[in-house]
Amino acid sequence: MSPYQILKLACAAALLLGFSLQAVAGNPARGQEISVTCHACHGEDGNLALDEDYPIIAGQHFTYLVHALRAYRDGERDHAIMSSFARDLSDQDIRDLAAWYSRQRGPLGP
Amino acid sequence: MSKRWIPALLAAAFWLAPAAHAEEADLEEGRVVAFTCLGCHGIPFHTNVFPTFHVPRIKGQTEGYIRASLKAYRDGTRRHSTMQAQAHTLSDEDIRNVAAWFAAQGRDR
Repeated sequence: MSPYQILKLACAAALLLGFSLQAVAGNPARGQEISVTCHACHGEDGNLALDEDYPIIAGQHFTYLVHALRAYRDGERDHAIMSSFARDLSDQDIRDLAAWYSRQRGPLGP
Repeated sequence: MSKRWIPALLAAAFWLAPAAHAEEADLEEGRVVAFTCLGCHGIPFHTNVFPTFHVPRIKGQTEGYIRASLKAYRDGTRRHSTMQAQAHTLSDEDIRNVAAWFAAQGRDR
């Protein structure tokens, strides 16, 4: 194998790894796009809590947001509004939403 | 005291009663209750065992959400073994105080 071929292979591998890592980490830009449904209660950046019992989600840990949305979707956690909104989310939707909100600044932290 | 004061006193009692019931949270008491919580919630990026996720950030969270969460864990309507065990030890007053303390610890936006 020539050095050029090795370079090509390495580039392809890096690209693939990049795509798969993004799939696991979630895509914040797509998360922002599909977050419109969340805005009324949580705000575009997750710093709104419309009702006094609602949480701030800006800057919450990515993995915790994924866990919470899955729990609502799968019926392990119950809330009249959240359970119905989460019902139709795919794993990718959940990761993208979590990627968007976990990256916003707020009182919870970075 | 003449009887004509009775209605006024009753009215005053009813007016004051709700104020006496809407107890103020005691932040100092809340801080003491929070010692236990900080073992997990005070360590940045601390993860629990299974299912694996980062223990949520709760400093700066809304008071109402923390109260509702703790009561749901205590009632068993929200499930997490550690949190249910912890919440079982808390009175309504503890929950009010610890929620107020965590809510007050948020970073400035």
